[in-house]
Amino acid sequence: MTFSLRGVRRRFHGRAGPVAALDRVSLEVAPGERLVVLGPSGAGKTTLFGVLNTTLRPSEGTVRFEGQEVMGLSRRSLRAVRRRIGTVFQQPRLVPSLTVRQNALLGRVGHWSLADALRSWVRPSGEDLARVDAALAAVGLQRRATARADELSGGEQQRVAIARVLVQEPAAVLADEPFSSLDPALRESMGELLLGVAARGRTLVAVMHDVDFALRHFPRVVGLGAGRVLFDLPTAQVTPSLLEQLYPRQVAERPVAPTPELGDAIACVR
Amino acid sequence: MPSLASAEVSPPLASRRVQLLLVAAFLVWSVVEAQVSPRALASASALEGLGRLLRGLFPPDTSPGFLGVVAAAVARTLAIGIAGTVLAIVLAVPLGILATPTLFRPGALATPDGPWSGVLLALHLAARATLRVFRAVPELLWALLFVVAVGLGPRAGALALGVSYAGVLGRVYADLLEDVDPGPGEVLAASGGRRASLVLFALVPQALPGLVSYSLYSLECAIRSASVLGFVGAGGIGQELQLSMRLFEYRQVSTLLVALLALMLAGEAASRVLRRSIRSAPVEGGSPLTGRRRAMLWLGTLAAVGLSFRGAELLGGADEGMFLRLGRFAARLFPPEISLGFLSSLRVPLLQTLAVAGAGTLLGGVVAAVLTPLASTGLMLRAQGAPGRPGPGGLFAPAVHVLARLLLAVLRGIPELLWVLICIVAVGFGPFAGVLALGLHTGGVLAKLWAEALDEVAHGPLEVLEAAGAGAAVRTLWGAWPQARPLMASYGLLRWEFNLRASALVGFLGGGGLGLKLYNAIQLGFHEQVSTMVLLIFGLVLVSDALSDKLRRNWLPPATLRRETGPALDAGLAVRAGGLPA
Repeated sequence: MTFSLRGVRRRFHGRAGPVAALDRVSLEVAPGERLVVLGPSGAGKTTLFGVLNTTLRPSEGTVRFEGQEVMGLSRRSLRAVRRRIGTVFQQPRLVPSLTVRQNALLGRVGHWSLADALRSWVRPSGEDLARVDAALAAVGLQRRATARADELSGGEQQRVAIARVLVQEPAAVLADEPFSSLDPALRESMGELLLGVAARGRTLVAVMHDVDFALRHFPRVVGLGAGRVLFDLPTAQVTPSLLEQLYPRQVAERPVAPTPELGDAIACVR
Repeated sequence: MPSLASAEVSPPLASRRVQLLLVAAFLVWSVVEAQVSPRALASASALEGLGRLLRGLFPPDTSPGFLGVVAAAVARTLAIGIAGTVLAIVLAVPLGILATPTLFRPGALATPDGPWSGVLLALHLAARATLRVFRAVPELLWALLFVVAVGLGPRAGALALGVSYAGVLGRVYADLLEDVDPGPGEVLAASGGRRASLVLFALVPQALPGLVSYSLYSLECAIRSASVLGFVGAGGIGQELQLSMRLFEYRQVSTLLVALLALMLAGEAASRVLRRSIRSAPVEGGSPLTGRRRAMLWLGTLAAVGLSFRGAELLGGADEGMFLRLGRFAARLFPPEISLGFLSSLRVPLLQTLAVAGAGTLLGGVVAAVLTPLASTGLMLRAQGAPGRPGPGGLFAPAVHVLARLLLAVLRGIPELLWVLICIVAVGFGPFAGVLALGLHTGGVLAKLWAEALDEVAHGPLEVLEAAGAGAAVRTLWGAWPQARPLMASYGLLRWEFNLRASALVGFLGGGGLGLKLYNAIQLGFHEQVSTMVLLIFGLVLVSDALSDKLRRNWLPPATLRRETGPALDAGLAVRAGGLPA
């Protein structure tokens, strides 16, 4: 199993005592599998994402990556795990004053020793540069390679973030709402890019708002509500009533492809 | 191989290389000219002197009599700081309004109105020039001049701070008033509003939070300055320190040092709390204070100001002759002596002053470069509950971090003039003592500022690097440093400007440069020579500020700097207080 979560709980301390963002979540993801996590805002999607990319420690339960129990590891071994997990965040989160090429190069940080990191500041290794050039070509940004990251448009920045993951050459890719900062016209092409990253046998776990896109492109869907797994099914078995459980009310109006933003708005009002 | 250099547009790389080379050449010249010799520092006699000093510091003098002296000195320092700030605000309000370009330069707000507009424009330019003089003459020099004019004691200190901080605050006020949204003012101007109503109803209400916040911020800076002015005889804890040091009463020195550090840290904490409470006060729905509490606040403030003026000997003890004496002293400064013999005798001290400032800033940068990583929270400390067992390095990192923070608090807490006296013990009189003094103090200030700059960058990129498997060192190098670099460079340049002002005075205590000559001229009553040297220092500061401003503009994106840091950086407040207003 690439990821294996058993009885994972994560509590935060809210104003009215502890709040469980994740409640006894168990999840198995096989190598090469493509899986999407759906759920309204506040369902614990981002917390789950943090647990999966090993930056967040669960309050209870075990987290395994490729069979290895993660949370007991030393920092050094944890870094070795993290370099095998590529991450596309909600926001591109580039280093604004570095160039596009330098930002893509940062996919290698997990592979670098401190000496490598210093050397790359002056002159990156030829192999790293070759990876960077290939990745920038794959996302169509070769021509912007020497531009500063903060000169790019939002869509271009998110493409750099995807190039960074390509350069990392991870075994698994996690994506947290990767398109929510983009306008709808860009989402489809960006989705193709993301699915392209996950080709070549890589595992892909995406946390997503866009139900429509998710149902069309992912063979397996996990529904997350109030920190619990409500369902975990092949896409073919996901029924409108299950979606209604996830995003109450608005599914009745648009049974097949609910607009998630609207669903969230309703969820927030409640 | 394709270049990875970041693509900044202007100015061309070649001219920036030349500038960098010139700066490097100047620094090398400084080190040579200031007679920097590490061997002198490591010599047997230096170590013995320092050892004697260190041993002498223990145990601190805690006799009740002396503690009383310390408490009185702390109270007087606070009084000088508060009274000086109030004076500065009183001076800065009219000057700052007069210096606001949007009000007096032809434009949407200032339509030419009759015969007076020419006069007003002249007043505006005069106000800007006055503020510049107030700012460019070092505060220590102001203190020295006021000591000569009104005598030793806190009164000279308060007056010096008043003038010097009026220059800083006036500039900040003018910047804030200039930066407000011009819309409301234009509406008032279009409907025939007078200039006074523009200021009162359009500009001040918009700029008010900034005006209040920066005034408080300068109070913090002024209290710190007040503890230094005593070294030239302007009262407060500095005067006691200088006295004990000269009498070799090292046990008293250590008690005073503890008080000084406590005063600095308490001042920083109080100012932080005060500014946070002002910032978090609800803007809408009126003031959060009810009538009674507001009255108490005003009464308390008034009482504090009154007590401070008394403590600074500006009230009650002030004799009517003070203004007469000030006038008489000012008259004696004219005309400045410009005989060729005297001018040529200034050449060597002048160059030495430049060299001490340059080498001192360089040394400070080196010290800070070593301490900054250790003082950076992001690099040394892990977030609570972050996954991963720490390795052997991670276990003692927090202890190293605390020690580094403590060390730099001591470095920056001891004023540069006290460092001069300490360094003289080690390496004797001369410019090298000045370099060491400026370098150690600057190292402490810069390390704090640089570490904060590194820790306060946007966290998104750092989280990305962490998720990709980067350790703390790589995160700092590739995530934080590129973001913090402009601010760090700016701090370095500002510290150079600050050090040039200080290096003109370190000679006063034996640290080389113009200070010694100034001291002699004052002691012997050669006031014409004093005024020549004051003019010279003023000119030197003006030129250096202009050059460093040019460097800043060429190297750093000015728009981003101004937006992120506000006028504090422009006026150099940040390097005085040891941080930007939070």
